[in-house]
Amino acid sequence: MRASVLLLAVVLLGAVGCESVRPWERDVLARTDMAWDPDPLESALEKHIEFSKEGSLDGGAAGGGGCGCN
Amino acid sequence: MSNLPRRTSRSALAALALAVLLSASATQAVEAGETAPSFQLPGLTGGTVSLEEHRGKVVYLDFWASWCGPCAQALPALDALRQEFPEEDFQVVAINVDGTSAAAKKFLKRRPVGYPSGLDPKGETPAQFGVETMPTSFLIDRNGTVHHVHKGFRKQDVESLRKRIQALVAAGR
Repeated sequence: MRASVLLLAVVLLGAVGCESVRPWERDVLARTDMAWDPDPLESALEKHIEFSKEGSLDGGAAGGGGCGCN
Repeated sequence: MSNLPRRTSRSALAALALAVLLSASATQAVEAGETAPSFQLPGLTGGTVSLEEHRGKVVYLDFWASWCGPCAQALPALDALRQEFPEEDFQVVAINVDGTSAAAKKFLKRRPVGYPSGLDPKGETPAQFGVETMPTSFLIDRNGTVHHVHKGFRKQDVESLRKRIQALVAAGR
């Protein structure tokens, strides 16, 4: 019981340090080099080559695959 | 902790929980029907920018930043909208939230507008208004009451904004 209370206290104490980024503070996050996918066109091309040549998909929806004809 | 009385540890936990809640609580967003908070900020081109100086006019208050994609569309559209109404009836007032004024100036050099921009690099005014997304704008009537909160911007929004502004301008005549 005491251990769980102590654990809860530690978690709560840690949560005080959580700070969300406000909408007007997103200048750094808005930079192209901060994006998960900084170049969507290049990513799409790479995906196309991958599924055309290897017939492997990364979970994205696509028709066919393997023959390089789509 | 194990040697502490139960009441003390409960009090400590309650205090911690309160601290968490307070630290996580977001600023209450200003909504339609409420009075717009007053502010006075240094202007991008010198002087000051405030809401008070435009009291008696319909004001479109726009929060923008150079890094905000839709803002690039919004600024020229708002400038065109501003020119459709007499200056004594309608004014666009902007608040720039960039970290540096240089970024805002560079942005406006490419997209010059004829309305004032206040500088708020610390973000006190958007916090005061409870801005939840960028850009966010507040359409304020002649008495300082917020009539519409516009989140984001798309070109197709202009027509509905124009109608809202027309209605407010006509109401005060």
